[in-house]
Amino acid sequence: MIRTKKLDEKKLNFWESIYIVEIVKGLVVTMRHFFINLFFPSRIITVSYPEENLPLIGNAKLKSLHRIKLRKDGSPKCVACMMCATICPSKCIYIEADETENYVEKYPKVFNIDMSKCVMCGLCVEACPEDAISMDTGEIVGGSYDRFRNYKNGGLFLTKNELFRHLPHETISKSGAANRLANKYLEDKND
Amino acid sequence: MSLDIIKSDLIQYFIIYKPQIFYLIETFVKIGILYGAVMTLAGVLTVGERKLSALMQDRVGPNRAYILGFTLWGLFHVVADGIKMIMKEDFMPKNANKILFTLAPIISLVPILFVFAFIPFGNYINIFGYTARFEIIDSNLSVFLIFAFSSLAVYGAFLAGFTSGNNWGLLGSIRAQAQMISYEVVMVLSILPVIMIYSSPSLSGIISAQGENISGFIPKWGIILQPLSFLIFFTAALVESKRAPFDVVEGESEIIGYFVEHSSMRFAGFMFGEYIEIVLFSMLISIFFFGGWQVPYLSDSGFTLGNISIPVNHYIKVILELLSISVKTVIFSCIFIFIRWTLPRFRYDHITKLCWNYLMPISVLNLVVTAFFVRAF
Repeated sequence: MIRTKKLDEKKLNFWESIYIVEIVKGLVVTMRHFFINLFFPSRIITVSYPEENLPLIGNAKLKSLHRIKLRKDGSPKCVACMMCATICPSKCIYIEADETENYVEKYPKVFNIDMSKCVMCGLCVEACPEDAISMDTGEIVGGSYDRFRNYKNGGLFLTKNELFRHLPHETISKSGAANRLANKYLEDKND
Repeated sequence: MSLDIIKSDLIQYFIIYKPQIFYLIETFVKIGILYGAVMTLAGVLTVGERKLSALMQDRVGPNRAYILGFTLWGLFHVVADGIKMIMKEDFMPKNANKILFTLAPIISLVPILFVFAFIPFGNYINIFGYTARFEIIDSNLSVFLIFAFSSLAVYGAFLAGFTSGNNWGLLGSIRAQAQMISYEVVMVLSILPVIMIYSSPSLSGIISAQGENISGFIPKWGIILQPLSFLIFFTAALVESKRAPFDVVEGESEIIGYFVEHSSMRFAGFMFGEYIEIVLFSMLISIFFFGGWQVPYLSDSGFTLGNISIPVNHYIKVILELLSISVKTVIFSCIFIFIRWTLPRFRYDHITKLCWNYLMPISVLNLVVTAFFVRAF
């Protein structure tokens, strides 16, 4: 048996059936929006991304642009262990390691992140044993036509120069085992 | 034969054919003014439609195209769209009739453009004793010629669908024929009372008749004498321009329309033709029902209302009259756009029913009643 469904169509009364009144009603609604938006453009809630950004709410800023934290003396906390590059699902991190002068640890000679590939999953932050890489800058990467141009010039390519930095008014973090060792070494050296 | 003889011959010819030469120059200037204005307005409407609809829906609309850092409120999108259209692939389907397929966009564009030749876009101007009327072709039957030529545009829609070898295109063109041909009847029937009231089948006659006043202060415009005709003509104009709420022809969600297979500048011909049609019908509405170039109370002697009269310079009067029809045309083009972005689409059978069951009898009744009143008084 064919299943049927009865629709209760509302019968139009006379004024509805000649359309004109209803058309005017509809026009009143659209015209109200039109003239309000014409004379008060600030009421339009569109944000012209990427020139404008909304402030990030709550912990949303913990999934923003990457950075590498720095120690007291300005050297990176990163020890080039390749954890982040290994776990990265989109393979957007490229690291070249080198020895530091104290022969205690390694440091990244090259640290590149291709933001056109990054999926902002945050796994690199979770994987980092040194608490070096973090995504807490609060900046959002804007759209760009050139993925290989430097981030500072409107591109999507992050190198050491953009990654190694303090946040404004940041106290230097001392967490992480190798970090503690290195800090201690620096203190001993100063003494 | 020496040069002097040629020179004197030329001067003689110039003296003999002076009126013809002046007429030629005048006609070219008028064509330049009118078609320049119409093309510019149609071009601006393509981006204006996006902008107005954006404002109605609380959006910003196109604002990214720029030249040297200036965006000019998104006006450069006209140029960007044009360049995009030219650069696209010019596609020819395998099953298409190549000649008619190419001819279709031209046929839908040219008759509409030709109609503008009959439209008076101003009264007259007197420069150093030479009088020029703002009308490219001055015909006594211009109303009928306009409808004859604008109805040719249906062949563009018809050929495009039939010759593209695509079933969706065929469906679209069948829908286009059905609704456009049936509404043409209603359109002409709704204009007949206007012709009867002003007792002139020429556009310039209708406009100059609208310069008079009823009981001294109400302008004798078509909207006041024939409001029913206005509503019917406006509805028919919406259908003829194949736009929402009567856009089952295109019906983006079900069939793309009669121009499915047309790409690049072929498609641009249809799209631009649609916007030129909007300008044409806005001009016709302002001429039939809102006095065309007439400014209320303005005549050759200046503004007159009762006993008060303010004299106006001839050139200022000409500019006021040109502004009058331009403003009316722009306003009606905007209303066309507002209606499109306000109303949902009519169902196919509702469109046909609206035409033959309601608008047709009403316009015939209107015609009979008007004929009675015109004869009686």
